[in-house]
Amino acid sequence: MPSTKVLITGGTGFLGTELLRLLTTQTSHSITALDLNPPPPGTQVFPNVQYIRCNVLDSSALQATFASLKPDAVIHTVGLYYVGDNRYSMKKGDAMFEVNVEGTSNVVSAAKEAGVRVFVHTSSFAVLVDELGVDFRNADEEWSVGKARLAYGMSKVLEAEKIVLAANSPTFRTCALRSAAIFGPGDPVVIPTIHNLIARGETPFVLGSGTNLVEFVHVTNVAHAHLLALSNLLSSGTAAGEAFYITNGEPVASRAFCLAIWKHFGHVPPFSVSIPKSLAWWAGWAAEWAAWLTGKESSLSRGLIMDGSAERYMNIGKARKVLGYEVLVGLEDGLRDACEYYKKQLEGRKVDKTR
Amino acid sequence: MPKPLSILYYLVHPQQLRSIIQWKVWHNPVHERDESKEGPALKQCFFFLDMTSRSFAAVIKELHPELLVPVALFYLILRGLDTVEDDMTIPIEKKEPILRKFDQILEKDGWTFTENGPNEKDRPLLVEFNVVIEEFKKIKPAYQVIIKDITKRMGNGMADYCNNREHNINGVNTIKDYELYCHYVAGLVGEGLTRLFVEGGLANEALLERPELMESMGQFLQQVNIIRDIKEDLDDKRRFWPREIWSKHVDKFEDLFKPEHKQAALNTSSEMILLALTRADDCLYYLAGLKEQSVFNFCAIPQSMAIATLDACFQNYDIFKKNVKITKGDACQLMMESSQNLRLVCDIFRRYTRRIHQKSNPHDPNFLKISIQCGKIEQFIESIFPSQPKPVAPEDVDHEAVALAKRQADAERSDLIWMGAAVAFTLVVITASMFFIAWFMGARFDLAYADVKQQLSWLLGFSNSTSTIAPSGHSEL
Repeated sequence: MPSTKVLITGGTGFLGTELLRLLTTQTSHSITALDLNPPPPGTQVFPNVQYIRCNVLDSSALQATFASLKPDAVIHTVGLYYVGDNRYSMKKGDAMFEVNVEGTSNVVSAAKEAGVRVFVHTSSFAVLVDELGVDFRNADEEWSVGKARLAYGMSKVLEAEKIVLAANSPTFRTCALRSAAIFGPGDPVVIPTIHNLIARGETPFVLGSGTNLVEFVHVTNVAHAHLLALSNLLSSGTAAGEAFYITNGEPVASRAFCLAIWKHFGHVPPFSVSIPKSLAWWAGWAAEWAAWLTGKESSLSRGLIMDGSAERYMNIGKARKVLGYEVLVGLEDGLRDACEYYKKQLEGRKVDKTR
Repeated sequence: MPKPLSILYYLVHPQQLRSIIQWKVWHNPVHERDESKEGPALKQCFFFLDMTSRSFAAVIKELHPELLVPVALFYLILRGLDTVEDDMTIPIEKKEPILRKFDQILEKDGWTFTENGPNEKDRPLLVEFNVVIEEFKKIKPAYQVIIKDITKRMGNGMADYCNNREHNINGVNTIKDYELYCHYVAGLVGEGLTRLFVEGGLANEALLERPELMESMGQFLQQVNIIRDIKEDLDDKRRFWPREIWSKHVDKFEDLFKPEHKQAALNTSSEMILLALTRADDCLYYLAGLKEQSVFNFCAIPQSMAIATLDACFQNYDIFKKNVKITKGDACQLMMESSQNLRLVCDIFRRYTRRIHQKSNPHDPNFLKISIQCGKIEQFIESIFPSQPKPVAPEDVDHEAVALAKRQADAERSDLIWMGAAVAFTLVVITASMFFIAWFMGARFDLAYADVKQQLSWLLGFSNSTSTIAPSGHSEL
């Protein structure tokens, strides 16, 4: 029996690289990684993976690539969503986010045409929790998504997910994995953003009570979930047409999560000051204006404040039941590794600068 | 007579006093023991129950009549076993066969035991143990089988520990050993009680299919006791905190009590508390399987006390110096809240979990683990009692239900308006009739009015003609 041909879009990204690592070590599939960029320096390059450069917005190039490769399965990880500062100030017409909708639509139609049988899509739990200032406690897939006030970029993530799930059919099985914010070694967002607060001297300030529970997911766990979804769709197909929340299943108080990260960098705030939510909202408002006037980026914004002090945790029972998902890397071990990795990266940068 | 110091305390903490008074005044037992139907032997058993139990006697005596006597006897039998095991004046050769054959002793009419040391405070129970055996033989055979089975297994477990010299000298080694010890002295009690509840038809049979839940009920209580009693046990030359945990923080067990190792001692205690906390969600799950109110109270009250005690011990260096207790007012408050329903017990657990989390120290090596465990308990509570309804998509909304809700809201609003109008009308009528009666009795509203006006102008500092004339009017009086 010929091995299954799997194509990964966004194959040189943070999640894509981890997916390649798991796929090459745990399966006998033949693998192609498709990305706009070649593997960035410092990331692992896998010898038995075929790398192809292609822009998902270029539909004719995409069709040609799919037609020549004839993959059986596609894992679509391309998608832009920020977790950091930019996320809340997204203006309409920000063309970058068209990648989510147009790119996804292109990949889906190219895949269908080329006779792809299964399609796993990386979505984000922001499709639900981006309703700012609202608490989401123990939310599951039955909660309706796409309520009002989604940040513009996030609405595109939701639209992309809808395109994928609507395309589901017996001959073209699709599913979407709504991942929590991903951290891990080489993570470009979560650890660096929280680490940055040390240098800014902002660590003593607690938004609201800081006791609100939030969730993250380690990159190995998300990648593992993708592999499970892939083999489910290739076999029984019980996951077809479904969306799943994927988190580490370990909700922690937002303040505790930050403190745990800072501690790895040898920093524990000498004191802590709680800023009431309402006051923080105005502080965020002022910071947005100050940022606008000075043209400097601020780490505060109303969006961040509403988001940072709300409850965001999921019930991942559906992924456990249908996909057989389990957490491979726990929060504590995962954070330690990710922080150690980032520490080395920072040291490397320092060495570069002194030269 | 209350001590002057406690009077002072309650003056400063009226909330505590209020809880105590409320509990004493308003608490109605679900079932009351009917003493008139009890023979002398059973009366003596209840006397021993009051004598030997600090906290359990009250909840046992309020149990459903079906289980009142079996549970009371179960308690006395285990207490008897414990009194033999605890007494260091009995040589091991004598102790071991008694422990291992205690289930057979329950068959021996008139068996008593007089060889406890004079300082053993529960000695009288074993001296008159014949009354317990006499009553034990009268309960339903099904209950006897359960009690005997647990007695046998616990007796053997205790004997193994007594035999284990290393345990006597160095205390418990691994976490596994520690949990095994807690299993023998408490997990088995959880199993026995659960089987009694199910046999009596007062609990869901499904509890027997999830043995880890009843195990956790016992483990949680026992572990909390062991954490709280660290100093007392040290003074009695006993060590239950496992080496596997304390050796991560200090070199010698005794170091835990030295002021220079204060931080290490606190870190050790929080690791012990973390281990206990991992049982909390199982306990709540278990409580959901109880059908009868008195059985629920019997199980829930000690659990609530335990989580509150954990909070009192957490990050509290006093546990290494003295016995830390929750206040009497808090205890009464907890008993009130725990003798109603699972929702209130969950509220208690969430409240104390948050308090523990709040006190957690970022320098503690188990800081993140404690946060994760607290989050897990909170998520579990949220899963059984969601704090917000599942938001459903607009197309899924039941339009009829929405219309009904709107009609109800409208009806409520018009009710409210009518109610307000009626109240206003009544007030007007009453005020008017009071004025009328006052006038009828000779009240001079014209003078009162002038007086009020004048006082007002004084206050506001007007100097018009009336205010200048008024003083002269007063001088005539």
